[in-house]
Amino acid sequence: MKRSLENIKVAFQALFLNKLRSFLTMLGIIIGVGAVIIIMAIGSGAQSSIVSNIQSMGTNLLTIEPGRDTTRPGGGPVEFNRNSTPTVRGDLYLSDYKALKNASTLTGAAAIVQRSSTVTYMGVSESVSILGATDDIFKIRNYKISSGNFFNESNVSNSSNVAVIGQQIIDDFFGRIDPIGETIKIDKQNFTIVGTLQSLGSNAMGQNQDAIIIIPVTTAQNKLYGLSTVNNIIAQVKDESLIDQATSEITSILRQQHHILSGKLNDFEIRNPSQMLETMSSVTNTLALMLAGIAAISLLVGGIGIMNIMLVSVTERTREIGIRKAIGAKNKDILTQFLTESIVLSITGGILGIIFAVVISFILSKFAGINTAITATPIILALSFSTLIGLIFGIVPAMRAARLNPIESLRYE
Amino acid sequence: MDKKIIEVKDITKIYKIGDVQVRALRGINLTIHQGEYISIMGPSGSGKSTLMNILGCLDTPTSGTYYLEETNVEKLNDNKLAEIRNKKIGFVFQTFNLLSRSNIINNVELPLIYSSKNNTKDRRLRIMDSLRAVNLTGWEKHKPSELSGGQRQRVAIARALINDPAIILADEPTGNLDSVTGEEIMAIFQKLNQEGRTILIVTHELDIAMHTNKIIYVRDGLIFKEEKVENPIDAFKKLAEMPRLEDRLN
Repeated sequence: MKRSLENIKVAFQALFLNKLRSFLTMLGIIIGVGAVIIIMAIGSGAQSSIVSNIQSMGTNLLTIEPGRDTTRPGGGPVEFNRNSTPTVRGDLYLSDYKALKNASTLTGAAAIVQRSSTVTYMGVSESVSILGATDDIFKIRNYKISSGNFFNESNVSNSSNVAVIGQQIIDDFFGRIDPIGETIKIDKQNFTIVGTLQSLGSNAMGQNQDAIIIIPVTTAQNKLYGLSTVNNIIAQVKDESLIDQATSEITSILRQQHHILSGKLNDFEIRNPSQMLETMSSVTNTLALMLAGIAAISLLVGGIGIMNIMLVSVTERTREIGIRKAIGAKNKDILTQFLTESIVLSITGGILGIIFAVVISFILSKFAGINTAITATPIILALSFSTLIGLIFGIVPAMRAARLNPIESLRYE
Repeated sequence: MDKKIIEVKDITKIYKIGDVQVRALRGINLTIHQGEYISIMGPSGSGKSTLMNILGCLDTPTSGTYYLEETNVEKLNDNKLAEIRNKKIGFVFQTFNLLSRSNIINNVELPLIYSSKNNTKDRRLRIMDSLRAVNLTGWEKHKPSELSGGQRQRVAIARALINDPAIILADEPTGNLDSVTGEEIMAIFQKLNQEGRTILIVTHELDIAMHTNKIIYVRDGLIFKEEKVENPIDAFKKLAEMPRLEDRLN
């Protein structure tokens, strides 16, 4: 006990004797540890915001999209989810939505048309994303009304020119005017604003969810875009545990609707939010892992720096080693002393690296708006890793010190 | 007769430097008893340093037997030798060999660190006893560089005493000191010997050797002559006779 305390004291004395040299040696470890923690903090920060976003969208929602031709090699956009079943090209219609709406495993469904249009009010024009939807969207997406009302089923069946607008639209067009009852032009057609949404913030992909105008899906199809199809259908499953059942029920309903013979591929695709979550997580995980790998290399380089300086230190202190051995230090004692020194060097570097990382993460989240989350895992990981590095790269110099011949060491000038 | 501290029989040491064999010791027989005060003299290259290293368990002989207080030393491994050096031998070197970064207390304490048997309170007492034995108190927190040569050598002697060794081996202990300071160191050795300690001094100054009770002359790796000193110099008396700077200034 006394001996290890003495070792640690001697180690710190040696470090303080050559402050600049010790600091430069530690710099490799400081940067390495700091980089690992910052990268992991940014990674888990991004991940937790993605997870909470996707979860807030509802983990019991299935998105049904029209099929893309996945059988053609190189065809279609990059697969978001490589495990999805192959599909052929197809379309979704309002009739599909009506068929799905009363499925036994679902509490409801909503059909969606999404486009961008020019919106004009009092001479101000802007391109805004328009969400054409059935009235169930408000319940399914968990939208909350700020003022006025949502549009209703009869608005949808009558293709009424009514609109519910997000907070960003209010800010952009109306300022302090109450928008309820006002008329705006969407692609030269007049729409009456019946309600406003509470603010939603940004979604997982960083899009502003408040810059949105929701109108009846039929109005969007017939009056604005001349469509007979819908972009996708959102289905709300009764319970998360029923997701697989719901998927097969939707599949059979839609295959029936589309008259797909058995043995033929689906012309639609059902996406599961937990799959989305997994895909997003795996992307961020891979990124974090790659960057952590780079940081680990920097730690390795730091370790080599420590080994280098420890070899110098052993040579410089040959005489001290000789004295200690003459007085009764065993090889083991000298080994422990120098090993302690390299570990103290690397742990000090590690701790400084952690402090550095915490400060940088704080600055990043405070001033750069990057979400960071420092967790215990990378700190423990970095500390044990730097200890390990001190141990591994300290062993060669320490063994060299331990093996020195006391007579020759005492004669060393 | 007092008990034997050191008994070496027919010790040889052969160094191999490349293809050349150097026979540093060619059969040394030597017995040192408890309480003896001996000096070893010899020209450089005579093998006295090699003998000193072997007696101090820093080196092992090529052949021959070496008993240190009933322990057969010549066959021990490095760890056992380190333990013997720690517990049974007190080294005093020409160049003091103190740890420059540690204060006086820590320097004197050093052998205790490697023997790990005393509690802190006991240690403190032993350190203070050792420093008192060499007349050096009040400097505990200072670094060796803040002390004079004579004071540093006294720290080294205090360090050698701390584990209550069987023998004190001093290699040219006055070689780096002026004559007055050297005489002060010899006075400390004389006092320690009078208290019953066994002391062996290696020197090439006859003046220093004449303080001891017996001189062993080494030449060409052999003991050339052993000689009892009839009237050893009394360091205290000599010190009193030496001209003192303070006296001259007054």
